[in-house]
Order: sequence, then structure tokens, then C-alpha cells
Amino acid sequence: MKQTSSLLSVNHLQASVDNKPILKGLNLEVKAGEIHAIMGPNGSGKSTFANVLAGHEDYTVSAGNIHYLGENLLDLSVEERAHKGIFLAFQYPVEIPGVNNMVFLRTALNAMRTAKGEDELSAPAFMKLIRKTLAELEMDDRLLKRAVNVGFSGGEKKRNEILQMALFQPRLAILDETDSGLDIDALRQVAKGVNKLRDPQRSMILVTHYQRLLDSIEPDYVHVMADGRIVRTGDKSLALELEDKGYSWITDEEAA
Amino acid sequence: MSDQQALLAHYRALAQRDQPVLPLQQQAQQYLQQHGFPDKKIEDWHYTALNPLLEHAFTPASAMDETLELDRHTLGDLLLGNEESYQVVVYNGAYQSQLSKTRGLPAAVQIDSLQQALAGQDQTLMAHLGKLSGEGEHLFNALNTAYLQDGVYIRVPAGCKLDKPIEILHVSLSFSGALMAQPRHLVVLEAGAEASLVEHYASLGDSLCFNNMISEVFLAEQAKLHHARLQNESRQTRHLASLYIQQQQASQYHATSIAMGGLWSRIEFHNSLDAPGAEAWHAGLYMAGNAQLNNNHLKVLHRAAGCRSREVYKGILKGQGRAVFDGLVKVDIDAQQTHAHLSNANLLLSRDAEIDTKPILEIEADDVQCSHGTTVGQIDPELLFYLRARGIPEHQARQMICLGFAGDIVETLHWPPLRDYVEGLLQQRLQHITRIG
Repeated sequence: MKQTSSLLSVNHLQASVDNKPILKGLNLEVKAGEIHAIMGPNGSGKSTFANVLAGHEDYTVSAGNIHYLGENLLDLSVEERAHKGIFLAFQYPVEIPGVNNMVFLRTALNAMRTAKGEDELSAPAFMKLIRKTLAELEMDDRLLKRAVNVGFSGGEKKRNEILQMALFQPRLAILDETDSGLDIDALRQVAKGVNKLRDPQRSMILVTHYQRLLDSIEPDYVHVMADGRIVRTGDKSLALELEDKGYSWITDEEAA
Repeated sequence: MSDQQALLAHYRALAQRDQPVLPLQQQAQQYLQQHGFPDKKIEDWHYTALNPLLEHAFTPASAMDETLELDRHTLGDLLLGNEESYQVVVYNGAYQSQLSKTRGLPAAVQIDSLQQALAGQDQTLMAHLGKLSGEGEHLFNALNTAYLQDGVYIRVPAGCKLDKPIEILHVSLSFSGALMAQPRHLVVLEAGAEASLVEHYASLGDSLCFNNMISEVFLAEQAKLHHARLQNESRQTRHLASLYIQQQQASQYHATSIAMGGLWSRIEFHNSLDAPGAEAWHAGLYMAGNAQLNNNHLKVLHRAAGCRSREVYKGILKGQGRAVFDGLVKVDIDAQQTHAHLSNANLLLSRDAEIDTKPILEIEADDVQCSHGTTVGQIDPELLFYLRARGIPEHQARQMICLGFAGDIVETLHWPPLRDYVEGLLQQRLQHITRIG
């Protein structure tokens, strides 16, 4: 792959939690507009990788590097990464008691606008934007009136993540098991939202355990992770093959 | 004589200064002669370090010749309602009739200086004054009672529903040394009466003041009182408030106590539900930072069947701030079908902050639904990560989490001008919380 067009470039990344190595030399190139699916068995390091990209401080990077838009990503704070267009859709979005969802969305959007040197959006302008975004995603405004994720069902939490993604318009979206715990209808709505956000300027990394998400969101590449590294890369047919044969097909091969 | 003995002699002499008007005052004087300062051996005072009160010999304003002509301009924006409230100003414990605005008050409703009502031997006043407080539970109560001079007297007659809140602004300021303000309030809501009372304690500058106050609140059958209390005094101020609330059948008392000012503050609610169907709701929020000690004492006594109470107190502590929550719900043997839920949650923003929390249920009846719970925690790093991952700077994320934590208590402030004011104060106080609080 050509270095010049690369949005994200991960080289020999090693990371650990509480001194336990999780990522053991991960390589990945993502170019603008590409969708990469990362699959793999539980414990292979998929979520760790997603969290390292977003800057979670529980994870220590011990070796390797990550370049994002030509910058050393590891030098940036969590909020700086967000300002520069990195968005992590959480596997388990946290509940924030007492913080109204609408106030949260507006605060976040304005924090990003301020960081980019843009004016903050007024309350009416924000309302207009959020109404438009909701309409595009075919969502209603029920979730806006409640505290962030508090008492939301699993599907509502994931929809709230997609809403944020649509609002913040990231350059690189990392969806960490966004499909887990969703029923068919919720999955369909989430997938629809993600597909609407496909854009030649926007790249996505879909971390998923199952192939079913990839039925509705077609990736350019499918990677299989095992023991902290990417051990196989292919196109969407690889996902189907995995569905058919299970992960042991690849992980056993690796071990052999 | 030790310093403490000298101080005791000072307060005893103060109490003797005037000829007592009421038998109650004589009892309080006797109490003062026989008792010393409360100390750590008394359970109620175990966590309340008393030093800040014993460092100075406080003297009542009336004995100090402190005369500042207050005008409404001096009060700035401390009065929160313009036309939306009946307003009373209390300055160093004395009712300021020239600054108060009670125009439009229904004729039968009384909002008066306690001193005047006392001088006029107001019958309702005489029948209620001291009936709940007695001569006092501790030396400072007795001092207030023995020295009893002024405060606010409110009476809302049967069936009267006040259209606007009664806003009482307490300000204190001392020019010449350690000043003691000792307001004494009496609130009587007759059967079916409804009112909203907003008390705001503030300072006109950071001077050495001690507010030693007592309030007695009587709620007759079906009466309903919203009572909001904001203590936001200056960093040298000491604040001791004892509130006594007595409720008759099916009356409702909704209290919100916000305490964030002062060097030392102790607020005691003694709430007794004396007849069936009475309801009491206590919401509280306390904040303490460096050098502040904030005590919250709550005693809710269920004395009759079928009463409900709910006590929810939350604390945010930063720097070297210290707070005490001492909550007791007592259910008498006859108080069957009681519902009582007591909870206390605390957010500690630094290693050096400290909370002593002691929620207690004492239940003698057997057919009740009661619970209590306490939490002490820090800002959850996962919440912080989530907000930061959405581009919100760390200090702002911390502020949001703290404001969210306090949110359900602030929500109970039913008068919008006060709610907005408190939100603004909290935003200021929580603006720059760092990783070390």
C-alpha cells in the first residue's frame, strides 16, 4: 500500500494492560474511504486495539507506532484524537447520570468545533442539525430528553452511538462490537445508519465477532486477529469462510 | 481559667445581659449555667470538630453597635425574585423592614419581625415559640433561646395558598470583630395552608461572623410547605442552624438544603411526623473544599401510622474538604405502614477529602418498608474516558459528571430563580477540578 494515501498506519503495535501483553505486533493500513472489518475470537485483542486507537489510558503501548493523518497518534490526548476525527463507538456505552443527552451532544459538538477554530453552534442551530440528523437516521427524539444512556436498552445505547457518529462526522470511525446484543431490527437500523455515513473521505474499522453485521455493511477488507496480531487478511469472502469453518480453522493453522 | 472556660463565661454573661421575657428563656439561661460546649463524647457531635467555633468570643450584633445602613443596592443580585417573591431581608440576625417587600400579601397572612410580634404578644406566636426546640439541645441552641431577639415570624391561615414564594435573604457582615447573628424563625401553616419558603444565607464581605440560628416550623393538617435553603456564606463564616419541623395529619414538608459556603457549617433538621399520613421529603447537597467542614444532621421521627419520608443527601468534596452526614430515621412502635428511604451518596474528588457518613434506621414497628444506603466514590474513569473520547476537555468532563451527580438534588428546587442561581454557583465551584481535586 502506498504510504501517501494512508489515513491510518499501524506498525508492529504492542500493548498491554496491567503488564499483561495483549497486542503483540499488529500491522494495519487504512486508506481514506475504506471499510475494514476486524474479526477474531474472544480475547484476541480486538477491543484492546479499538481502545488503544481512542487513547484509553488503561492500555500501555510498549512498542510500535501509529500514524494518523501523518501525525504520531500516540502523542495525542484522548480529546485531541476526537478533535482530529477519531470516533470510537463503544461496545458498552456508559451511563452518565444527571447529564441530559441533548446537552451532552451539544457540548461535545461545540468542543470539537472550538478545537477546530469554528464558532459554537447556538441552541436553535443545534436543534436544527439534530432534527435533520435524526430524520436521516430514521430515529425519533426520545433519547435526547433522557440522561446519557441511563436506562437505555442495549439497542438504544448503540443507536445513540450511531447518532453521535452521524453528528460528529469523523474521519475514522471505529465500531467496537456495535452489533453485539442487538436484535434484528436494531441491527438493521444501526447498519443503515453506518451505510449512510459511508463516504470517500471517511474510513471505518468494524470490530466484530460475528459475520452477520457484514451482511449489511460490506467491508473492503476482512482481517482476522488471533493472539494480538492480524493473522489473515482477505475480502468479504473471508468472513463467510470463517462463518462456515469457525475461527479454529485459522488459529489452529497459526499454531501449527 | 482555660480559654474554653473564659469563652463559656463570655457566653453565660451574654445570656444574662437582658431580663428574660419568657419562661423558656429562663430555662435556656439555666441550661447555659449548667452545661459546657458540646464535645466529641456526645454522639451527635462526634465528627464535628468544634475548634472553629471556639477560636473567637463571638458577640451579638446588637451588643457591638454595628450599624451599616443597608440599601437594596448593597444587596446586589442576592435577592433572586424581582416581582416573583415576597421578600424579607435579615441583616446580622435582625429583620429589616425597610428592605422587605411584602406588598400584595393576602391580608390574613403574617410576615413580621419576630421582635415586633413578640412585643405585641401575638397569640399564635406565643402558643408556638419554643414548643419544638425547648431550651435547646446544646449550648448554642440555648444561647439563641436565652438571647432571643429577632427573626422572621410567618403565619399562613387555614386554607390560604400563597401565590408566590417567601424569599428570606440573610446577610451578615462584621466591621469590628467576631460577630454573632442569632436569628430565630417561626413558621406556622394552619390547616390546608400552602406556602413556599426560600432561605438564602449570604455574606456582604468575608468577615468573621457566626450565624447561630433556630427555626421552628408547624404544619397543621393538610398543610404543605416547600422549604429551600441555600447556605453560601463567606469563607470565614461559621453557620449553625437547628430546624425543628412538626407535622400533623396528611401534611407535606418538602425540604432542599444546599450547603456550600462557610468555614464551618452544621445544619440540623429535627422533623417529627406526628399524625397519620404526613409526608416529609429531604433532599440535600453539600460541598466542601479546602479548610471547609460541612455537617449535615437529619433526624426524622415517624410517630404515627402511614407516614412517608424520603431522605436523599449527596456530597461533593474536593481538596482537603471535610463533611459529615448523620442521618437517622426512627420509626416508633405505633408507626405501622411507614415508608422511609434514606440514602447518602458522596463523590470524593481528591485523596485528601474526607466524608464521615452514618445513616441509621431505628425501627420498632414491624409492618414497614424502610431502606437505607450509602455510597462513597470517585469520578468513574470510564465516564471520563467516554466524554473525552467525544472531544470534551478533561476539566469540563469532570465538571459535567459532578453536575450530573448533583442534578437530581438541584431538580428538587422548585422555584426556577433559585434553581438557576444554584446551578450557576455549582458550575463556578466545579470549574477547575484537576486530577488531584
